Amino acid sequence: MSAPLEVFLPFKGGLPPLRKYLSQLYSRRQFMAAFARSELRRQNYGSAFGQVWLILNPLLLSAVYFLLIVIISGHADKARYGHLTASLFIFYLVTDAIVAGAKSITSGGRLVLNSAFPRLMLPMSAAVVSLFKFLPTLLVLVVFHALLGLPFSWTMLWAIPLIALFFLFALGCAIFFACVNVYFRDAQNLIPYLTRTLLYLSPVLYEASALKSNLQFLKNINPMYPLLDMWSRVMVHAQLPNCTSYIKRCYGLP
Amino acid sequence: MLSASNAHPQKKGDTAVSIHDLSVIYRTTLDKRPTLRNRLLHASRGKKQTRVVHAVSNLSLDIPYGSVLGVVGANGAGKSTLMRTISGILPPTSGRVELFGNVGTLLALGVGFNQEMTGRDNVILGGLAAGLSKSEIESKFDEIVEFAELSEVIDAPMRTYSSGMFSRLAFAVAVSVEPDILIIDEALSTGDAKFKTKSLDRVKELRSHNRALILVSHALATIEEVCNEVIWIHKGKLISRGKPKSVIADYKKFLEVGSSPMIDEDV
Repeated sequence: MSAPLEVFLPFKGGLPPLRKYLSQLYSRRQFMAAFARSELRRQNYGSAFGQVWLILNPLLLSAVYFLLIVIISGHADKARYGHLTASLFIFYLVTDAIVAGAKSITSGGRLVLNSAFPRLMLPMSAAVVSLFKFLPTLLVLVVFHALLGLPFSWTMLWAIPLIALFFLFALGCAIFFACVNVYFRDAQNLIPYLTRTLLYLSPVLYEASALKSNLQFLKNINPMYPLLDMWSRVMVHAQLPNCTSYIKRCYGLP
Repeated sequence: MLSASNAHPQKKGDTAVSIHDLSVIYRTTLDKRPTLRNRLLHASRGKKQTRVVHAVSNLSLDIPYGSVLGVVGANGAGKSTLMRTISGILPPTSGRVELFGNVGTLLALGVGFNQEMTGRDNVILGGLAAGLSKSEIESKFDEIVEFAELSEVIDAPMRTYSSGMFSRLAFAVAVSVEPDILIIDEALSTGDAKFKTKSLDRVKELRSHNRALILVSHALATIEEVCNEVIWIHKGKLISRGKPKSVIADYKKFLEVGSSPMIDEDV
């Protein structure tokens, strides 16, 4: 008798064998892509504007927040609106991944119970869906940028590695909250408050340079802070990202 | 579609699935309402608010190639848990499961289907969920649609399908996988009488020397007709194994009287 093709043993410490798990995950990449595509299609299916909502949603959101800023500060300027729109769009890449990721496994129901595949696939495709919802809004950003008369430069290509970083962060959050929500279903109710708090702690409604000196510690405790600051510099002001200053800060260097 | 050439050629009589001393234990919350207050109260006392369910306990079983194994048992006997463990969906709590071939499962119909997408997209999605590759699905596509008798509506969204049409397509996708070891759990009772016969015929066609079939069903007549061996599970334990006729007769007797000498004996 030949050796068994596959052996199922009890998990050690509740975890499946990692190497095998990762290779299974890789072999299921086609399924992940198709699953993400179908989820993307489902989300806005049947509404009158259909896929246009992918752009309309963040646009309306930025309009509402701009209204808030104008009322609070009493004046409006172009750079500010540019900053708000750019930051809000990428911020929602992360929060959307958190919200969808948290639900991904618990709402997987029949799929989770009846087919063998690495469960990691579900939060991963949730994050991929969020990325694909974000990408068309980049086009809106470019149009806005031109309309507002903000500067263009080749340094704006730094946006590409930054988007990769944002996506990686969103992916991590989606996986983390997917796990948390399995064992602690209340997480789903807490997440809206969590993301809202994160929004106010991040330089989205204000610019990073406007942070008061007694609140500088926020830069250290919020992982989104450096990312959003660099994003705004690149996308709004067409400057180089100030990553070195954050790396120095991270190691306590002057 | 019904090629006899499997990925891992096997001879009749070779072991397909080998289960050693398998136990699967679930823990479910004991309190009716798992509130934070209850959790905190009991956490401080170090008491675990869980109920332990022995879904499968100390079960050993060998399934050879060329066999069609029927699985019978009352509700909650652990049939589905056993099938999920063999398919790798649930990990064993103790013991081991060895597979000598690739496994295909038909535990529920339409897993991975998306109501908003067309039948065509769902064939691809369902096939990928079942573990086929995209090129494999494309080569089998026409046969799947033809078998489901849905060629006219395949480009309509799935939500416009009747439930019979839904299950027909789901069944057609599932049986197109052609694994070495196929597990079917209560999935034959789909569609109208005509399709039921057709799907049963398909299962009969799938019986071959180099394949092992495991069939879970409450339709005892079907089991008796299709299988060449039957096991009876009760409360996670293997009660008896043997020729379909005799095991099913014992099981029927048990269903009528609620107990049987075999259950009452400490097995």
